[in-house]
This record gives sequence, structure tokens and C-alpha cells, in this order.
Amino acid sequence: MSATAIPASYTGRKLGSLRSERRWALWVAYASLIIACIIFLAPPFYMLVTSLKSSAEISNLSGNPWLVKAPTLENYIELINNPLFRGFFWNSIIITVCVVIISMVVSVLAAFALARMKFWGSQMLATGVFLTYLVPDTLLFIPLYQIVGGLGLLNSIWGLVLIYPTLTVPFCTWIMIGYFASIPKELDEAALIDGANWMQMLTKIFIPVALPGIIAATIFAFTVSWAAFVYPTAFVTTPDQMPLTIGVVSQLIRGDTFAWGQIMAGALMAALPPVVVYAFLMDYYIAGLTAGATKG
Amino acid sequence: MPIQGLSRRNVLRSGAGVIAAGALSAPMVHAQGTGGSLRVAFWDHWVPTGNDAMRKLVKEWSEKNRVEVTLDFINTTGNQLQLAGAAQAQSKSGHDIISLAPWDVGSYASVLEPVDDVINRLIAKYGPISPVSEYLAKRDGAWRGVPAVSGSQNKPACVRYDLLQEHAGIDIRAMWPAEDKAGPGAETWTWDTFLMAAEKCQKAGVPFGLPMGAFTDAVDMIGALFASYGASMMDEKGKPTVRGNAKLRTAIEYAVKLSKFLPNDVWAWDDASNNRALISGKSALVFNPPSAWAVAKRDQPQVAEKCWTVPMPAGPEGRYLAYLPWTSGIWNFGRNKTTAKALLEHLSERPQAEALTSQTAGYDIPPFASMSDFKIWQTEGPPTGTVFNYPLKAHHNAKPSVAFSPAPGEFAAQMYVQALNTKVIARVAQGGDTMDQALGWLERELSTIVRGG
Amino acid sequence: MAADGTLVVAEARPAGHGRASTLQRFARRRSTIAFLMTLPLIAIIGGLVAYPAAYAMYLSTLNRRMTANIGLGNFEILLENDTFRAVIWQSCIFAIGAVVAKALIGFWLAHMLHAIPAKGQRKWRGMLLVPWVIPPALSTLGWWWMFDPSYSSINWILNIFAVPSVPWLGEPWWARISVIMVNVWYGSPFFMIMYLAALKSVPDQLYEAAAIDGATGWQGLRYVTLPMMQNIISITVLFSLIVTFANYDIVRVLTNGGPRDMTQVFASYAFQVGILSGNLPRGAAVSLFMFPVLAIFAYFILRGINRRNKEQM
Repeated sequence: MSATAIPASYTGRKLGSLRSERRWALWVAYASLIIACIIFLAPPFYMLVTSLKSSAEISNLSGNPWLVKAPTLENYIELINNPLFRGFFWNSIIITVCVVIISMVVSVLAAFALARMKFWGSQMLATGVFLTYLVPDTLLFIPLYQIVGGLGLLNSIWGLVLIYPTLTVPFCTWIMIGYFASIPKELDEAALIDGANWMQMLTKIFIPVALPGIIAATIFAFTVSWAAFVYPTAFVTTPDQMPLTIGVVSQLIRGDTFAWGQIMAGALMAALPPVVVYAFLMDYYIAGLTAGATKG
Repeated sequence: MPIQGLSRRNVLRSGAGVIAAGALSAPMVHAQGTGGSLRVAFWDHWVPTGNDAMRKLVKEWSEKNRVEVTLDFINTTGNQLQLAGAAQAQSKSGHDIISLAPWDVGSYASVLEPVDDVINRLIAKYGPISPVSEYLAKRDGAWRGVPAVSGSQNKPACVRYDLLQEHAGIDIRAMWPAEDKAGPGAETWTWDTFLMAAEKCQKAGVPFGLPMGAFTDAVDMIGALFASYGASMMDEKGKPTVRGNAKLRTAIEYAVKLSKFLPNDVWAWDDASNNRALISGKSALVFNPPSAWAVAKRDQPQVAEKCWTVPMPAGPEGRYLAYLPWTSGIWNFGRNKTTAKALLEHLSERPQAEALTSQTAGYDIPPFASMSDFKIWQTEGPPTGTVFNYPLKAHHNAKPSVAFSPAPGEFAAQMYVQALNTKVIARVAQGGDTMDQALGWLERELSTIVRGG
Repeated sequence: MAADGTLVVAEARPAGHGRASTLQRFARRRSTIAFLMTLPLIAIIGGLVAYPAAYAMYLSTLNRRMTANIGLGNFEILLENDTFRAVIWQSCIFAIGAVVAKALIGFWLAHMLHAIPAKGQRKWRGMLLVPWVIPPALSTLGWWWMFDPSYSSINWILNIFAVPSVPWLGEPWWARISVIMVNVWYGSPFFMIMYLAALKSVPDQLYEAAAIDGATGWQGLRYVTLPMMQNIISITVLFSLIVTFANYDIVRVLTNGGPRDMTQVFASYAFQVGILSGNLPRGAAVSLFMFPVLAIFAYFILRGINRRNKEQM
């Protein structure tokens, strides 16, 4: 490796200095991590603080904005009692569940076929899937607006269920191809000799073995459809059909009144499901993502 | 929206025979069961009690007439309501009645049901309708929507009278008392006085909170300012009138001077920033409907009781008041148009208009001059009478204005969304352009809008 | 990855000599089954990506009312328009500035995480990932409130240190910096995770060998880490460039393009022109301007991946 190219003039260094250098490096590491954590966590912390204030306290300029004097849950209670907000939550859940199921079925089937069964155009298709992943939603929302409108699905969560898979399926397929390709070929040959058909091979061998990949892809699909913003902004304008992201951004900010406590409470509650999922499944997700990228 | 459309159609089919009769003579059919159904999208009111007031009125009407009404309130933050209108016009489906932003009535005229019969009856009862509403809602010789009460707002000055007295020496309550006459010195309430007061308040650390960004408060206020200087950018034929327009130049020059005395980030203020500036006590004056004051009353009462609403200052071509009128339109692809008309006519009548306005702390401004005398504007407080001068009264000697008139609707709508009037000011004041550069830019933007029709 | 999968299949071929007839029969059916299995994918990509993309191109040649074809008129009008020209370079500043900052911060944090004892890493990593986990449209609301002109809590802290208040979203350059800052805040954890995974895949022996040769930490970084991570860095950067270039939520929530369009990027401008002002064809033309840039990035990513796959062979 290129390490050999290092000039030799630094040899003969004392072990002691090496150790103190290490300790110093450790200090730097912890200091940077602490500073980064403070900066990274400040906005969510401030959102939490604001969500616990009454609007009178928020609008009061004297005092430290980062502290809350009289914590109250009234913003949360008001939101939970608000049928509109519960509707946003419910819409998000319906959309996300449907999209996750659709994406996983489509991408597992397709990834299996692309990874294991060569057919005419399969390589082109695999490249096409990857390219599709690189097409951002902001490029397509205007033609899709016309198309969705033509189907009569503007202002409907089903329009979103139809469109979101374009965001999730390519990447899920991509992850799954990688996982399937890493399964040894001996396994399918054994299965073929045993007389299994393709479908059995997929359900009995590939899906169980590639489960970590499936979990990663599922979390990805969940995250993307929960956080999607461009399409609902463009396609959904009636409050009863809005998912959370656009609901919180467009409905809780009420023109020129002071609803910051509620806005922050709403944003935090909307952010909760993905945060919980990460807290438990972070390792799978990271493994899936980085495997997709580092293995190329 | 196939599901709702379908269900609505089913409802209609089941009661098909009744609908026609029900619509023609609404009160007669309640024994017959359903009088049809309506899906309505109204403006989501900024005054928290506004939606409830509307809900109550609609409920009374729908029970009396046996019409099933689904009522949605759509917010204008991020232009959701405007987007809803665009989406529905595009897909020819959605609500039966929808609130339309000022210029959208013109843009969608071809898919809106003419409502001249309703308007003529209302005019016969209540006298002339606001010229701004007529200008916006009348297209190709027909009224394309009923000027709405709910959400229609004036944007006069909401003044911290104590601060203005202390720092600028102007006793605004004496000029504009809560009475049907102008007080002493009212004639000196001009943009020049205003400029001087702005400077003094800025020096005292309580600058006027006038947004100069791309949101409606800013665009409307600058629109009225331009109108009072007689300045316009495009004529009614869609021809830019920028070049050699001395009045436009003067108006922009004035606004640039004024902006020097405003907080340095007004260029990004939205419709809520000015309210927050007032409520936080950092600002001596904003242009806003009474919602800023109403929120202050709730959260910072000591600020609210020092607020006083007065007309906009006058310019060389008179006094103009920014008016942001909403119009309720009926889609011509909707199913139950006659019933829809009946509901809108009902809501426009004086008792209903007064109920709406009273429930919104006087926020809503009806389109009829004869309705500028509701009791709520005299009694609302503290301080009592603070919104007395919020509606346009005869002694104000002012005309309502809407930004970018008299340009044709489809162009004005784009000029409004792109906030060309505040941007041209910002280019000079913040961007450092010369006046000629900025006007050149404005002319190019206008021709971009006009080109490709 | 794509090349990976198909290569594998090609290799599998010569394996089954003895069972040629069975395999042939399978092969005959196999392509049909495979095609059926990929059909939903093809339908999604074809119907909801390829077709809309083609339709966007057609749409962009129409006039506002979509009644006449004006060829490249919309593109011409846009290129002559000052605001749009500003949008082009604002998008570039935004994407490049944000991605460079994200890459540097992510790289630094990955190193720091790698340097601490392994058992504490998970906890720190979890905390540092929080910005990336919250849907950006929502966390941006928090930032927006922190930037509020009257109530900014950041300015409150600055004022304690006698630093004057900053007009975060009011002054064009500050607004641009704010937008980039929020994007960096949201995106650097992703870089951190990617780089951390790559760092962990560098064999320790290489560092040991370097240390024995007397390499300083900097030299280890320069001659061991960077070459080993070259691929992942380039792929992550290119990928992030695409995503950042097409970003919409942050600008939409934070500034809506203001002050006077100085923070407008392609996506937000397309939204304003196309949907808000009701000129769909011109909006489509605006977003199509993203396409060549994205295509160039995508080409480099694909090339990098292919080359890497070949090296691995």
C-alpha cells in the first residue's frame, strides 16, 4: 500500500509520546463529539422546550427562551383532541403501511428476478432501476400533477399511495439485489435438485436468508413515505386527506397567529414514529444502507 | 377524489327528484328528506373563533333546508387554498363551493358558474358592492363568484398609540377617534408624515413593522401605497407601463426611503412576522387586520390595550385602503349549483354577515359599504373602539385598493404570487440596484409573464 | 450493485453440465417468470417515472394555457430572465456549499467516533443521527422558529456574548447561509455513517504497518485512509449532490425563496412558477433544467460503481 511511501525520518519516536498523543486524540474526539451533539440536538431540544410553553410564555420576550418556566402539556392535549390532527396521523399511517407493503412486494420479486434469473434486458433494467433512484421527486412533480389530476386522484391519499413507490421501490430493489446476490449459488442448485420451483426458492431460501436486508429496505420505505413532502404539498390540499408532514406545515401554522407551541408539539409527535423505529432497528438500517453503498 | 365524488353522486341519485325542487324553493322541501349535499371549502379563519361561527351558520342553514353540507376549512399558509383551487380547476372535481383568492376568480372564470342573479338580488337589498370586488369577480360581463364576508379583510394601520405619541408626537387617537368623523389633524395623516414618524420610531428602537417580502400583507400594503401615488405597472390590456412612468418611480423612491427606517430583515417577513413584532412590543405600527391585536389581547394584554387601528396614510392621488377580498366561487362542473347559490346568498345577507364579523372580533369586512356600521367595531376593546376605523368609513375619504390593478387577472395573479411590487423596491433598497436597473428588471419580469400567454 | 447481480448469474451458467436438459427447460420458463416478477417494477418505473419525464418534456413546449406548442419558447424565456439565471447559480452554491460542508463534517465526526473505544460508539452514533431521523420538513420548522426575527433564540445566545443580532432569513447572504446550515445539519449524519462504515472496513494492519514505519496521524490519514475510502467518498458526495441539488423542503419551509428570490432553488422556483402561478409548462421547463446536471452526476456515479466492481473481480 502507499503507506510504504512514508519517509522514514520519523522512526525512533518514543513510546511515551505515542501514548500521550493517543490520549490527546481521545480528548479531541470526545470534545468534538460533545460539541457536535450540542449543535445537533439543539433544534429538537428547543422544539421540545417551546412545545411545553403556553402561548403567553412564548410571546413574552423577557427571560431565557431556552428554558421553560411553567411547563404545560396543553399543546399536546389540544392536538390529540383535534380531530384534524388525528386525521393527519391516520392518513400517514394508511399511506405508509400501503406503500411499505407495495414497495416490499414489488422490490423483492424484482430483485430476485434480477439477481438470479437472467433474461432479455435484465441488465439494462437493473441499471435503469439504479438511475431511477437518482431521479428526484422535484423533477417529476409537475407532470405527475397532470397525470394524477387526469386520474382524478388529486386530493386523495390514494394518489399518494400510487406515487410514493417511485421514491421507495428503486432503492429497495437495489438493496435487495445486493443481498440476494450475496447468497451462495449452491443453495439454489440444491433447491432446484430437490424440485423446488422459483417461488418456493424465493420464500423458503432467499427471504429468510436475506431478512436483514428486507428489514433495512422496509425501514427505508417507511422513512421515505413518512417524511415525503414534495408530492403531498403538490397533490393534496384538502386537510382531511393530508399526511402529517404537510398537515403540520400547512395547517398548524395558522396565518398570523401564535401557535408555535402547537406547531412544535405537532412536529415532535410527527417525528416520533421514525425516531422510535431507529432507536430499535438502527443497526439493521445502517447495515443495509452502508452495505448498499460500500459494496457498490 | 373518486371516492367522495362517487358517494356524492350516489347521494344525489338517491334524492335526484328532490334536488331540483329543493333548490328552487329551498324551505319547502324539508319534509321530503334530503335536499342534496354540498361540499364547501372556506378560508380557514385566522381568528380562532371564525371557523366555529361559520360552522354554526352553515349548520343552521343546512338543517333548515335539509341539505347535507360538508365544510372544509383550508389554510392559506403556503397557499394551500390557492393550490386547492388550482387542483380542482385542473381536475374538474372537488368541492362545489370554494373560496378564491382575489385574482383567482379571473383566472378560473371559464370554469366558474355565473352568479348574477344572486348578486343582483343582494345589490337591490344592500346597495352598491365594493368596486374592488366587482373588478375582480366580474369577468366577460358576468359575476363569477359571490364576494365573501369571511376572510375578506382591510389592512389599515394598527398603531401603538402610546409609542407614536411618545416618539413621533402624533396623537393618533385624536386624529381618528372612534366616531364617524375625522378628528383634528386627520388631513395631515399622509405618507410624508408617516415617513417622518417611521424615522423617529426607528431611532427610538421601536421601528414600524412593515413586511416587504413576498407575502400578502406586504404586497397588499405596497399595492395601496402605489395606488395612492397613482402608480401602476400594467394596464388593463396587459401592456407593461413601466417605462417613463414618473408616478411609479416616485412611489418606488418613497418606499425605498421608508424601508431605511424599518428593521433590516423585513425583506423576509411573512404575514405573521409583523404580528409578532407588534405583540412582542418591539414595533410601534403594523398594517394588519385586527388579528394581531386579537392575539395580543390573548397573550400580551398590556400591548393590546395600547393599540389603535387607523386608516392608511394618504398620498398625492388620495387615500387608499388595502383590501384583500375573498370570493366564493361555484364550479360549473359541480353538481348542485342552485343549492350552492342559495347557501352563498344566505351567508351574504346582513344578519349572517354581522354574525360572522362579530364572532371574529370584527375581522371580516363585508363587500357592501352599507355594512360598515356593525356594532362590533364600536364595542370591541380594550381599548374600546380600537377597531372602529377598521372598516372603510365615509369620513376616511378613502378608496379600497387591490395590488396590481388594473392588470388582467391572469397576469396580475402571477405578479401577485411573485410579489413584483415589493421585489422592485427590495432590488433598490437591499440589492443596491439603481432605479433604472430595477425598473428594467421589472419590465423584463412583466414581459416574461406576458410572453407565452 | 446492478452489475454485481447480473455478473453472478453469468458465472452460474457453466456449472450445470450434467443436468443440461432440466436447466434448459427451466431456462425457457425462467425468462417468462422473471419477466412477470419484474413487471410491477417495470410498470412503476415506466408509468410513473419514464412516462412523466417524457411528458414533462412535452409539457415544457406548450404555452401557459396549453393550447399551442411554442417549441423551446419557455426555455428561451427562462434563460433571458434575470430571476431564473440567479436561480441557476443559487442552486449551485446551495448544492456545492452544503455538500462540501456535509462531507467535511461527516468525515471529521466519523473519525472522532472511530477514535473512541468501541463500546461507547453506539450511544454517540445514536445521538448524532437524530437530525437525520426527523423528517426534514418538520425539523426545519424548529429552525425557522429559531431564526424568527423577533423571537430568535439563536440571537438571544449571540446577544449574551455581545454579538449583534443576525437577520438570519432577512438578508440574502445570511438567508443563503441559513438554508445551507440547516441542510448541513440534516445531512451530515448520513455522511458520518457512510464514512464510519468505510473506516471500519479499512484493515487495522494497514495502520499498524504505517505506525511501525513511523507515520504521523496525518500521514496515516493521507496515505492509508483516504485511498481506501476514495470510492465511498466519491459515491456519497455525488449522490448527495443530486439529492441536495433537488432539495425542496428546507427552502419551502424556511424562506419560501425569499428575500426577493435570493434563496430560490430549482425545485422551489418550479413550484412557484408551475403550480402557484398556474403556469405548468413553464414550471416543467424549470425543473427540466435540473436534468442535464443530474445526468452528469449519475454518469459519474455509475462509472465509479462499475470501475469498482471490475477492481473487485
